[in-house]
Amino acid sequence: MGAMTVDRADGRSANQLRPLACSRNILHRAHGSARWSQGDTIVLAAVYGPKAGTKKGENPEKASIEVIWKPKTGQIGKLEKEYEMILKRTLQSVCLMTIHPNTTTSIIVQVFGDDGALLPCAINASCAALVDAGIPLKHLAVAICCGLTEGGSVILDPTRAEEQKIQAFAYLVFPNSPLSVLPSAPSAEDDAPIENGIITSVTHGVMPVVEYFNCLERGRAACAKISEFHRRSLESQVPVVARKQTFEVLWWPHTLTAWPEFHGFACNLSEADVLTVACCCMDMPRT
Amino acid sequence: MNAETSDAPPTSLVDRTVVPGDTVLDLTAMANQTIKLGAGLRQDCDTISVMKAGKLRLSKPNKYWVESSHKRYVPCVQDTVLGIVVDCKPDNFLVDIKAPTLAFLPVLAFEGGTRRNIPKFETGTLLYVRVVKANNSMNPELSCMDETGKAAEFGQLKDGYMFETSTGLSRMLLGSPTCPVLEALGKKLSYEIAVGLNGRVWVNASSASTVILTSMRGSLSAHISQLRPDVSLSAARMACNPNKTWWLLVMNHPNLLLL
Repeated sequence: MGAMTVDRADGRSANQLRPLACSRNILHRAHGSARWSQGDTIVLAAVYGPKAGTKKGENPEKASIEVIWKPKTGQIGKLEKEYEMILKRTLQSVCLMTIHPNTTTSIIVQVFGDDGALLPCAINASCAALVDAGIPLKHLAVAICCGLTEGGSVILDPTRAEEQKIQAFAYLVFPNSPLSVLPSAPSAEDDAPIENGIITSVTHGVMPVVEYFNCLERGRAACAKISEFHRRSLESQVPVVARKQTFEVLWWPHTLTAWPEFHGFACNLSEADVLTVACCCMDMPRT
Repeated sequence: MNAETSDAPPTSLVDRTVVPGDTVLDLTAMANQTIKLGAGLRQDCDTISVMKAGKLRLSKPNKYWVESSHKRYVPCVQDTVLGIVVDCKPDNFLVDIKAPTLAFLPVLAFEGGTRRNIPKFETGTLLYVRVVKANNSMNPELSCMDETGKAAEFGQLKDGYMFETSTGLSRMLLGSPTCPVLEALGKKLSYEIAVGLNGRVWVNASSASTVILTSMRGSLSAHISQLRPDVSLSAARMACNPNKTWWLLVMNHPNLLLL
């Protein structure tokens, strides 16, 4: 794959993400809040709850999740409604819904800046806010946007300008890479580790199957880095508002510079790992 | 996938920061042991995994929990909390303890309580109570008696001032040995304090200025103490010096704390 030689306007390589920053507990009244930025895409998520009672139509034997999307300007349209839906489904599969039955948790997502990869940024922000609020979670969700350029190469975390030019993109959400005391050897043989599962996949545009799997593999490698960043940001428990906790990592994945030959469908994605696949307009011609 | 450096699995995650999804115990390796799980942990088949971010703690021999600080409270039996009466029903008082649902305080759960001497609490009354039933499918139940049926210190908190902090800070204030901040304050001032595990703190003293100082000191330590314990102690000393009151006022202003 000669995908390494992509010219990007901001001088990044194809697999390079924009600088990440995360600060938590920045709102006084919300029960949990987080501000997540990837370059100039900035999202603030606030979590309220769990509050007593569920809305009509929700299962009262489980907790329910409510997502409210606030765009930077104007009112919400179809696209934002779709984002709300995807975010809700994604968070539902991450949260343990049986711990606090008959309660509602509201997540309010305020967009501060949109410079591409908005939904993945919002997913990362809401996940950080849920952790801050102490909502019981199965694992963290880590999201990434992979784009397929006109030239047929895959780029990670595209900016808005790049997003308008690319022919297709995929929003991929993976579980974080957990620490474990279990001996890793036996589990790696028969079933793939948890971080190889996929929580959500949203694709848009026309993308050959081969490229989709290429996206999956790169996205997963990038998500391992983001989840490492997530963990590090949680480790430094600088309390409340004393100092804004901000971490900047600008990373260059060494592991990706020598990209292995792509081996078709031998991608280790087992069906059991696919928790929710929200495929909107998944139009993949058979190659 | 070699994106992360895969070293050998850590033998124990105790006292390390864990995030949701981490596996902290392998039950197959400890077949005939009893372990007790506290907040933030759950059993997932043969493993114990984490569901809240925080520090994993182990109290020898077998109690595990994840220590974290939140603005919401999850009721737990035997916790002492500060609740606010929201409504009075014939059988129960409905009390807000910052939990997902309102808690019930039976009208008979007082020392020597009978149908004839039901206490009268108005809406908004602050109570120091004990959680006796906590179950995620029912409202929590409270009591104003200790296990032996005595009133102990439970009941209404009159006068004073109540402020809200995080559960982590209230745990720190209750910790033993006595929190150095409270001790340092106690050497200079006399005050009464009631700390609820749900992140509410009530302070009372003979003069209003002492109440204000103590409570501001408490809420201020939320911001400083976890950063630098020595700073919070010196701030406590400053709080005792009346001339430095203005300094505390400045410090406590949330916008300035951001600086």
